[in-house]
Amino acid sequence: MAEHAISIRNLTKVFPIPFRRERVVAVRDLSLDVEPGQVYGLLGPNGSGKSTTMKIVLGLVPPTAGSTQIFGRDSSFVESREEVGFLPENPYFYKFLTGEETLRFFGKLCGLRGAKLRERTNELLALVRLENARDRRLGGYSKGMLQRIGLAQALIQNPRLLVLDEPTAGVDPAGSREIRDLILDFKKRGITVLLCSHLLGQVQEICDRIGILHQGVLVREGRLEELISIENQTELILENSTPELLRQIEADIAKSGARIVEMRKPQTTLERFFLEVTSDKK
Amino acid sequence: MTATAHKFFSPARIGAIASNTLLELVRLKVFYFLLIFALIMIGSSAFMVRFTFAEQFQVLKDVSLGAMSIFTWLLSVLATAMLLPKDIEDRTLYTILAKPVPRLEYLLGKLIGVLLLLLVSTLVMSAMFAIALYLRQQTVIAETMRTTPPEQVAEAIRNIKASTFTINLVPGVITIYLKAALFASLTLFISTYASSWIFTILISVAVYIIGHLQSTARDYWLASGDAGALTKIFLAIVSLIFPDLQLFNLIDDIVAGNAIAMAMFLKTCGLGVLYACIYLLVAYFVFANKEL
Ligand SMILES: Nc1ncnc2c1ncn2[C@@H]1O[C@H](COP(=O)(O)OP(=O)(O)OP(=O)(O)O)[C@@H](O)[C@H]1O
Ligand SMILES: [Mg+2]
Repeated sequence: MAEHAISIRNLTKVFPIPFRRERVVAVRDLSLDVEPGQVYGLLGPNGSGKSTTMKIVLGLVPPTAGSTQIFGRDSSFVESREEVGFLPENPYFYKFLTGEETLRFFGKLCGLRGAKLRERTNELLALVRLENARDRRLGGYSKGMLQRIGLAQALIQNPRLLVLDEPTAGVDPAGSREIRDLILDFKKRGITVLLCSHLLGQVQEICDRIGILHQGVLVREGRLEELISIENQTELILENSTPELLRQIEADIAKSGARIVEMRKPQTTLERFFLEVTSDKK
Repeated sequence: MTATAHKFFSPARIGAIASNTLLELVRLKVFYFLLIFALIMIGSSAFMVRFTFAEQFQVLKDVSLGAMSIFTWLLSVLATAMLLPKDIEDRTLYTILAKPVPRLEYLLGKLIGVLLLLLVSTLVMSAMFAIALYLRQQTVIAETMRTTPPEQVAEAIRNIKASTFTINLVPGVITIYLKAALFASLTLFISTYASSWIFTILISVAVYIIGHLQSTARDYWLASGDAGALTKIFLAIVSLIFPDLQLFNLIDDIVAGNAIAMAMFLKTCGLGVLYACIYLLVAYFVFANKEL
């Protein structure tokens, strides 16, 4: 049997609320697998247990019941973290470090050093386009810059798996698109990605497979295409069509017994419009 | 990268965390407190004229070593108390522990960072102290040359030199450092389960007071003769959990010029290191199971 990149088995997490008798069930009997090379999107409303699941997978929070593994190694072992890069939600790093120092610090934690570390640091600063800010302290970084240094930090040891908790939160549309392109690039290089995001449009563009959590329960899971395609409908977008042609098509459709569900002028997306307006015209 | 086996104990990782901790403290500008220490040294010299030379050295040693002791202790407690809560609150801890970093290495790195800070501070303060002592010595010698009959000058200067730099200053400074190190470890331990740094500091201060009073209290109770079995057990428990900090206080002996017994000094050092290790170990057991 091939090794799963992530495997979660009957995971339950209960948070006791201090000084009260209630408890919060953040995750309830969750089982899912992420296969190597996949981009897996974990979706769900606020408080549905996405971040909690990720933290358990990374061994930051112990599960109440069940188990999680990364490439076959249980999350409770430190070694399981050898090949994972993690970007936490609202990443905060040491404000007193510069961008470059931050990457060097995390590189050292992963056992890099010397020329190799320097090389990797430069490479990643270029990748996330923070070369100009490398000597500035993170205390002065904007939210989007922090997110990007966070991504670079997650990639420092060339991990086989990336766990990204809302990688595009607070990033402007252009930056968000860049991050999307980076993720697609990771996918091409065979890196497995587990991500969660509220930007469903983006999730749809990059994920192979999704799982939807609702109040800690996995309510839907499967290949994205299968989940969202409407089997008995077909979309047809025409350019420069004449009114006669349209009339003819409509007549043919009526004859064949099919039904037009909707007919409209396609609109550009707000995202594309925004990017068009704000892109540097050089 | 896949081929490298995970090292369970990596000095490089601990070094990275320790130097990062030291850098954090340096960039928080904690070293500025050394200026206050320098001011105390200068200020205390202003009152010297009224004393005999022997008294002058005693006062200088008393004030300097006392200030060093308080400052290193305060620095150790304050600096350590904020380290963990800050990392947890800022979630930097998540990013660190999401790397292959065992929790023990994280704690050890933090502790070593503080110990380095304390070491640098102690060395700088010792240097300031030595300079102050030397300047005072020179002033006193110059004065003696003027006032003493020539045939007694050599003798007088020998006396002065013998009472300035004495060998027992070294164990004095070392025990001051060890006490601060012990408190760094203790404070780290408290901060692993405390909910706020204020709580951590309060407990550390309480331990400091108990640690200093316990030998006095013990002597008092045991001397009064009416200590029951319960009192004795209580005292035994207290002295087991809390180090007897009076042992670390060599200042009175140094000021009085008493020789410090080597065996006693080594025992104190051993005790300091032992307590520091025990606190670190307990800290690890709490931290290993902590929900972040
Ligand atoms: N440390 C904690 N202590 C108590 N309850 C917690 C803790 N962490 C999370 N929870 C609870 O667990 C539930 C799931 O939280 P989680 O952060 O996993 O949600 P999420 O899906 O990531 O939400 P969001 O989209 O807002 O990021 C929430 O009800 C939250 O209040
Ligand atoms: Mg979340």
